Amino acid sequence: MSFTRMMDGNEAAAYGAMLSRAEVVPAYPITPQTELISRIATLISEGKMKAEYIKVEGEHTAMAAACGASAAGARVFTATASQGMAHMEEALWMPPGMRLPIVMCMVNRAMAPLGGLRPDHNDSLMQRDNGWIQLYCENSQEVLDTVIMAYKIAEDKDIYLPVAPCYDGYFVSATAMPTTIPDQAEVDEFLPPYKHEMYSLLPWDYRRPARSTNAAKSRYEVQQAHDRAKDVIEEVDKEYGTRFGRSYDGLLEEYACDDVDAVLMTMGSMTGTVRDKIDEMQAEDNRIGLIKLRGFRPFPSEELRELAKKYQAIAVVDRNNSYGSAGGGVVSMEVARALYTLDDKPLLLNFHVGLSGSDVTMRQVGYMAEKTLEAVSKGKVDEVVDWVELHDLGEVL
Amino acid sequence: MASVVRAFRPVVEQEKCIQCGNCQTYCPEGTVMLENGETVVFDYRYCQGCGVCANECPVDAIEMVREVAA
Amino acid sequence: MTENLFDEYYEKSLMQGGTTCCPGCGGPLFWRMALQALGPKTVIYGDGPCAMCAIRNIKLPHFNLHFSFVADASSGMAAAYRAKGIEGLTLVSSAGDGATGDISFGKVSAAAERNENMLQICVDNEAYMNTGIQKSGLTPFGAWTTTTPLGKEALKKEIPLIIAQHNVPYVATVSVAYPRDLVAKIKKAKDIEGFKYIHTVMPCPTGWRFNPAKSVEVVRLGVETWTWPLYEIEGGVLKLNVKPKQKPIEDYLKTQNRFRHMTEDQIKYVQDNINAKRERLLENDGKRVIL
Repeated sequence: MSFTRMMDGNEAAAYGAMLSRAEVVPAYPITPQTELISRIATLISEGKMKAEYIKVEGEHTAMAAACGASAAGARVFTATASQGMAHMEEALWMPPGMRLPIVMCMVNRAMAPLGGLRPDHNDSLMQRDNGWIQLYCENSQEVLDTVIMAYKIAEDKDIYLPVAPCYDGYFVSATAMPTTIPDQAEVDEFLPPYKHEMYSLLPWDYRRPARSTNAAKSRYEVQQAHDRAKDVIEEVDKEYGTRFGRSYDGLLEEYACDDVDAVLMTMGSMTGTVRDKIDEMQAEDNRIGLIKLRGFRPFPSEELRELAKKYQAIAVVDRNNSYGSAGGGVVSMEVARALYTLDDKPLLLNFHVGLSGSDVTMRQVGYMAEKTLEAVSKGKVDEVVDWVELHDLGEVL
Repeated sequence: MASVVRAFRPVVEQEKCIQCGNCQTYCPEGTVMLENGETVVFDYRYCQGCGVCANECPVDAIEMVREVAA
Repeated sequence: MTENLFDEYYEKSLMQGGTTCCPGCGGPLFWRMALQALGPKTVIYGDGPCAMCAIRNIKLPHFNLHFSFVADASSGMAAAYRAKGIEGLTLVSSAGDGATGDISFGKVSAAAERNENMLQICVDNEAYMNTGIQKSGLTPFGAWTTTTPLGKEALKKEIPLIIAQHNVPYVATVSVAYPRDLVAKIKKAKDIEGFKYIHTVMPCPTGWRFNPAKSVEVVRLGVETWTWPLYEIEGGVLKLNVKPKQKPIEDYLKTQNRFRHMTEDQIKYVQDNINAKRERLLENDGKRVIL
């Protein structure tokens, strides 16, 4: 039987892993992911979850052990954040190239030294090139559902790629909300047991994928898997919706976008705040909506191009920055590339906000929305990249 | 498998051999064998010509002979 | 005719002839001997390119990541086999000296602490050989490498003794010059549950600068000069397996050009160290050495 109770993001992720019947969990603690792995340790010790927990001595080992376990035939779950993710970097390149369908929660936290314990997206965004699928979640419920969906996507035989459900530390990881935990039997029906067609590491049944001598060819195969993943993510999301009554519009969600001139584009926990502000502003006849980017890898370029035709301006809200970049944050550069091929391009604005985990306030969202609508009315953008937190906007609300 | 480039090849003087089996035991590549416990044979497809067999032979029954360029 | 004979032999010995190793490399020799003891129900996890040259020819399942990943993916594999209820497998995890003693030292230590059910093997050729002879933590005092052109300034790390202090069930040193001892130790390790550690010397003609034909002779001299004592630590108790009459260290050093620049003082320093170590080993032979 499914049931609903208060649950924070970390606990939701642990339940997601349990319901997915993850068999091996190699993990190393790091704030703000610790509650997740200690919850898993508890679930195992209580006999509710049947898994081998490898208490490794670092993230680099965690991911390598995950690779070994995944290739040797076990469904693997792990999680990390920030500095730990950077420490894991070398190992993070292995699963996509080796086609190992590992699921790892990236619990976002800013990188040192100009960070703290609180979240921004620079940690997971610096993993954008290594082949992991990245899905950004807004709240506990989405985290739980995304972990289960992640296995279905990763283990699809046309994909075989690792998937990272990403969610903001504290704002999601430690904030409780009513969360529905689906029924185990229904999850089992949705997610069949793990069987990798390419791998078996047994003397009586030994299989490993043959490596092409042409490295470009192997890399292109991973690229093609990412291209296919766009459809698979949509399909899995739809199927999940049919079975469990919750779905998340695949790679990106349009919120309150009927009859608007411009949109703010967000990722992660700040989306909730933006939803509220958009509602408030639309009530006052401001023609602005919201696009929530859920899938950053693979990046939904085609879908975004279709949507962009409807708007006169898109403002990318980047909870990250890229020093010395071509202009603005990581997401805005992806969006710019995606829209470049359009004949009739919307105006593109970029805001840096919520860096190193500072709150994204209603007032800041209002400021960004007003600037965007101002650009629409002027027909041009004054400040292409705007560091919102450098302005004194007065009261929080 | 690797194609072998070898400067020397081992050649056995069968009359000297005392069948101790050292050549087989210590050949790094596993390309020497004491056939039926009697005759020393080499797998020249894979022998790298390192000379360990000749060095380990207690009666100097194996000689390393320079390969002639084909 | 002869070729068929050899093909049968390769099939039976679980290792194909014709590796890409340097002539005289101890790698394939070690693995051929080890496989005699390990048998066909074995899975190998191997790190590092020098070891890989030999491992590629082994006719058994293997998995590999890079040399900074020692004993970790194999921990994952062990967990997967446990989770799947697969029994009767020997999981071998192998790495070189630089991997085991330097970059992945913490990983080996952690796997020993967790008492992972695997046979961890260190193939020690006393430097980073595949990258072209650079000093590692296990390079001996005085040895020339491309990063120690005047000879290494510090002594070699005693990895087997350090691992033994983790209270693991079995630690042993072996040498390809002593095949019976080597095979017996691996056979013993195979039947023990938990973390087993075997440290083997790996003669390297390329990096140690000697004639490949002398490969076995050189490491035999290593044992005879007590540079490379053969011992095992089982259940915390030390046992010296071979106690040869001690030869002077010059006999060993002069076989390899990596030591040729060493001064008399330096040689004396090495000899004094070996003497002291030999004395301590003999003193503790048969005694519990885990604190």
